[in-house]
Amino acid sequence: MVHLVDTVEVEPEHVAAYLEVLRSLGTAIMTDAGASLVSCATTSGEIGEHVFIQVVWAVGDHERWNEIRRDLVLDPRFHEYGATVAALRVGGTRRFFTAVAPPP
Amino acid sequence: MMLRRFEVYALRPDAPEDRVRALEAACRDCGRFIPEVLDGAVGTNLSAAPVQLVWEHAYASPEAYHRYMVHPYHAVVIDRYLLPDAPERIAIDGPLGAGLYGYACETPSYRMTGGVRRLVLLRLDGAAGEDAAAGMQGLLEAAPRDVPGMLVSVMAANTMGSAWFDGVTPVMGPPRWTHVWEQGFADLDALDAYRRGDSPLADVERAGWEGWMGGIVTRSAELFYLRTGS
Repeated sequence: MVHLVDTVEVEPEHVAAYLEVLRSLGTAIMTDAGASLVSCATTSGEIGEHVFIQVVWAVGDHERWNEIRRDLVLDPRFHEYGATVAALRVGGTRRFFTAVAPPP
Repeated sequence: MMLRRFEVYALRPDAPEDRVRALEAACRDCGRFIPEVLDGAVGTNLSAAPVQLVWEHAYASPEAYHRYMVHPYHAVVIDRYLLPDAPERIAIDGPLGAGLYGYACETPSYRMTGGVRRLVLLRLDGAAGEDAAAGMQGLLEAAPRDVPGMLVSVMAANTMGSAWFDGVTPVMGPPRWTHVWEQGFADLDALDAYRRGDSPLADVERAGWEGWMGGIVTRSAELFYLRTGS
């Protein structure tokens, strides 16, 4: 299993809007394409800093991600979603993680 | 069957310079991490077309292309700057249409060291038959006989524009640019000499392809760049 971990930086006043776009559009697009939502979490909005929203998606492997990516790129909603979240964030990263067993 | 491929990126005007350089490096270095990526080179577009970065490369076969498509380097590093929802995206949707062009070929006749690459995007009249396109291909690929500084001249159908998933099977409608004409020159002076010169094709290009071969070319655009990294 591969986890896509998006860590997105937004201004505190945009957190609710970002989460609403994620709920109403992003989740439907990603799950329709075959990804599964693992978790969504935020840092505090009450500490005078930008808020980080971490969204984790699960896909089977990179072979499967390639198919999901194809379906996303061909889905007009994906481009609308991308433009919408881009307007709400000020930074962030996407990294892919694969589970490993910790050393004994 | 080899696959020749060009990715062409329009970049956000406010894209951080270090991130632009990182995307260039990611493309240039791709073959180090995915050996199936051949003949990789990048360049900054010098034409008036509103795109900035060009990445040219090739694959020995559709199977080799598949290994690129499913490789983590593609998903993790290249796509970091490109996918619409990627937080570090610096690409924007370009006015030239989807920024992926390319063609199938039997041999790497595009191959050259260093120099200047020019890519002419062509839209051929939908009513033009295969014979007309083949005739045009013959004329364009013979161009180096009239243009001493032209080292490479390959014309082909832009199959990668719609078959970008596996290099063979279209996954979307016909591309805006039906064909590509790939050229290579030793340097910018050689390209300039061709454009200013008196070869038949230079005349045709200066006339905007107007009326040539019965008006087979209905639209064109060009990119050219100094190649680095191949």
